[in-house]
Amino acid sequence: MKAPVDDRLAALRGSAKRRPYNARSLAALENNPRCTLRALLDASGSDKAAIAEHAGYPSPFGQSAFAFARGNAFEAMVKDNGCAELLRVLRETLKLTLPEVAYLDLNDVGGDGSNETRRDRTAEVLLQAAQGTGDGTLFDHPMLYLEVGGQEAFLEPDLVAFRIDGRFYIVEIKSFPIIDGQADPAQVRSATTQACAYVIALRALLEEAGIGPEAVSDTVVLVAPKDFTNRPTAAFVDARKQVSALTRQLARLERISDLVDLLPEGLTFDLDIDKDDKRPRRPAEELAEALEQVPATYRPDCLNHCEMAYYCRARARAEASLDVLGPAVREQLGGIDTVTMALGLARGQLTPTADQSDMAAALRHAARLRAELTGEVGGAA
Amino acid sequence: MLSALAHVEAMETLEVVHQTEFRHRRLSGRPLVIIPLTMAGEAGAPLAAMVGTAKRDMTLLVVPQPRNRDQRFTFAAELGQIVMRYIDSYRQDRRGDGERSHYSDAPQILVPNHGGIKALADLGRMCRFRSASGPYAVPDVVPEFGMWLTFLVDTSEQAGTSMLMPVTAMLSEHWATGQSTLEDQNLASLMAWIAPPDGLSVEQALADAENPDICPPAGPATSPEFDNRHLAPAIQRFDAAHTLGDPHDLATAQAELRDLVAEQVKPTWRMMWTAISLLRSVPEAPRTAKRFERDCVSFTSYSDYRDAGGFPQRKRDTAIGAAQRLSRLERALADFEADMAFDDPFVLADRRSAGEAFAGTVEESVPGRMVTTAKNRRVPRPYVTLRTDDPVRLAAGTKLISPSMPAGHKAVIASVHPDGDTTLVTVEVTGGMGRSRTPNPGTVPEPGQRLAYLPDPGWRPTPVFPASDHTPWTHSPGPDEPDTDSAVPEDAAAEEWGHED
Ligand code: SF4
Repeated sequence: MKAPVDDRLAALRGSAKRRPYNARSLAALENNPRCTLRALLDASGSDKAAIAEHAGYPSPFGQSAFAFARGNAFEAMVKDNGCAELLRVLRETLKLTLPEVAYLDLNDVGGDGSNETRRDRTAEVLLQAAQGTGDGTLFDHPMLYLEVGGQEAFLEPDLVAFRIDGRFYIVEIKSFPIIDGQADPAQVRSATTQACAYVIALRALLEEAGIGPEAVSDTVVLVAPKDFTNRPTAAFVDARKQVSALTRQLARLERISDLVDLLPEGLTFDLDIDKDDKRPRRPAEELAEALEQVPATYRPDCLNHCEMAYYCRARARAEASLDVLGPAVREQLGGIDTVTMALGLARGQLTPTADQSDMAAALRHAARLRAELTGEVGGAA
Repeated sequence: MLSALAHVEAMETLEVVHQTEFRHRRLSGRPLVIIPLTMAGEAGAPLAAMVGTAKRDMTLLVVPQPRNRDQRFTFAAELGQIVMRYIDSYRQDRRGDGERSHYSDAPQILVPNHGGIKALADLGRMCRFRSASGPYAVPDVVPEFGMWLTFLVDTSEQAGTSMLMPVTAMLSEHWATGQSTLEDQNLASLMAWIAPPDGLSVEQALADAENPDICPPAGPATSPEFDNRHLAPAIQRFDAAHTLGDPHDLATAQAELRDLVAEQVKPTWRMMWTAISLLRSVPEAPRTAKRFERDCVSFTSYSDYRDAGGFPQRKRDTAIGAAQRLSRLERALADFEADMAFDDPFVLADRRSAGEAFAGTVEESVPGRMVTTAKNRRVPRPYVTLRTDDPVRLAAGTKLISPSMPAGHKAVIASVHPDGDTTLVTVEVTGGMGRSRTPNPGTVPEPGQRLAYLPDPGWRPTPVFPASDHTPWTHSPGPDEPDTDSAVPEDAAAEEWGHED
């Protein structure tokens, strides 16, 4: 008999400390929702960067101290003086009427900064506001909570604003610029997806008190530097689509047990870290073998998002998978998975299945045209 | 399909595969290479640029404290001088008379990747509204440079132009690698496929290309490790020396920063020139010259506009301007794609394999067919039927041009009939037959002849350049067209760029 899903996830992680979900890892779900490897690593709370490194493929991500400093400085500036700048922007740029403003800092509660205490305090304060019994318009760093695939996730939005037309708004403060009213779409998208996790968590909180989802807007307020200055500007971003997409991905995680059931008994990503010198004691080959048991759906975009990307790319290359070339080529060669198959069909050395016959004809035709041009013989039969 | 196959082949053999016969981009005999570097986290904060017209003739400009506004403008002025000297050298020799005369050559700026263009766009945006007088005055060259950069960035969005190009785009248009488009945008990874360093396999070169210690990124972002390990401490030392005001320490700190940045940018610089000489070895496509002439015309037109003291480009297009621009870009793309297919058998074959063009052998020809036009004239409209193996996806009524027929040949598809494994396409020849009632010899395809057809992107006059960007001060907005965004914002000169410290 198989162990219950939580135990199996814990076994996957092994001796390492659990890495809880956060808004970033939830947002990343959207980038490659079908990837089993990623789903399992995240659900088990494994340390992807450490695992990738030990498997021989250190993750390509680092953060520049400059970007970090700038991000912090900008957020601090926006929130300075009870969010004076932020209010100016909400009023001037977004034309919001925010009559009396009460600012509540939920960063820590009477010196107790534990997640649970902050979560409870946040819940109390936000519920009061929603029911009209408390005051507070701006809530700084509230602590929201969400259950994801049976695991707890603490989420900390930059800010929640209330009573813009009687609704809660998630405010995301980012340090990429909005130049002449336009920001980099990829950055806006990833900021919005993160905000979606907050929208979902806040709705879940209110739902417990019988308050409907409309109490939380799915329009997100993005606050970012204006042009090349340090002064903030703001924009509304419609997050409706992304909220429902992320809701779907989260629902899939509820079914993580289906994925776990397919794994071989005793599989683990444990690195067996030495307590003294902090180095993994598990042989790298053994880890690699374990990783190989789990299907991954690599695509080049992973290089922008996932710590495992170099590992998964190497694996895709070794399998001669067309995933290496990216979606444009994949779509053109729909139904063909590997280089071997594509070229085998193109050269007439493989017999296509019924599904592949159209594609095979197209490939043979393309190969014949190429052969005519390059003067090669034997392009096609 | 053909180019997809080329990538698949490259993956199998670990060697690049040609996907064009020609280089479809003009390559100047004296391009100006610019490698812009920016500081992480800051909006459009230049950190450095390496610039020059020859491998051994480069200038490195470094902003020691990229957060400092004055230092940024000093940088912009220095880079501006170099770029403007280069641009001005093309504003000398004019050909033709009067209105229609234009410069016989045009500048070409090459950057490593699309990010490089974005960095220049930001710099252009930052500089073009500055004022050379009054409060916050900047050197004369700064706004001029900003406007020219903006002009060049605008042209680079239009397919087939050559005045500002990322080298990675030029390379990957010709060579298919066994990696993704995303990785092809990394100059070092792309070069690892095309010309791995001596003694290295493609695989080794690829691993090196992603190792920032061996191949620092081609910018505009520097590697985070470099930022944290080297750059941040060096900037701190510069700041400290700056505060203490010791000229000797300051000079040392500045020299140290320069050396650090130079080490980061030099590998890319060398690679840029290797890439350029590789591109030079690919023959230029015939129609490139004609497109280049359009570049010269647009360059001249902007140059004249600047000479007349024209305003900087507005911050955002008006709705009409944006629509015009979009249609211009779409047409340019269609033209460029047709040009490429016309010139290049590989590109033509790629489109044939996708059913967007076809080639075959003439089975039947009715050269004597005549029709009566609306103006009651009898004109020749021969029918020609071709048999092709190509998976034709073009419908009846599609207008066609042919690279296999004399110039001016035009036809339109009359019918498409599958016939076993092949397809019979009947076309009506509509143009290029001369003026008489019988077609000139050789203008109507004959039985047994092999020929290719592709869709005609359509004829239209060359776009007249000074369009939306140049009209705001003569154009008075109508009642339902409020001019909310005037060309020069009032607070332009005071607009911050960086920190005041
Ligand atoms: S890099 Fe690997 S684990 Fe991460 S999402 Fe992509 S395929 Fe999945």
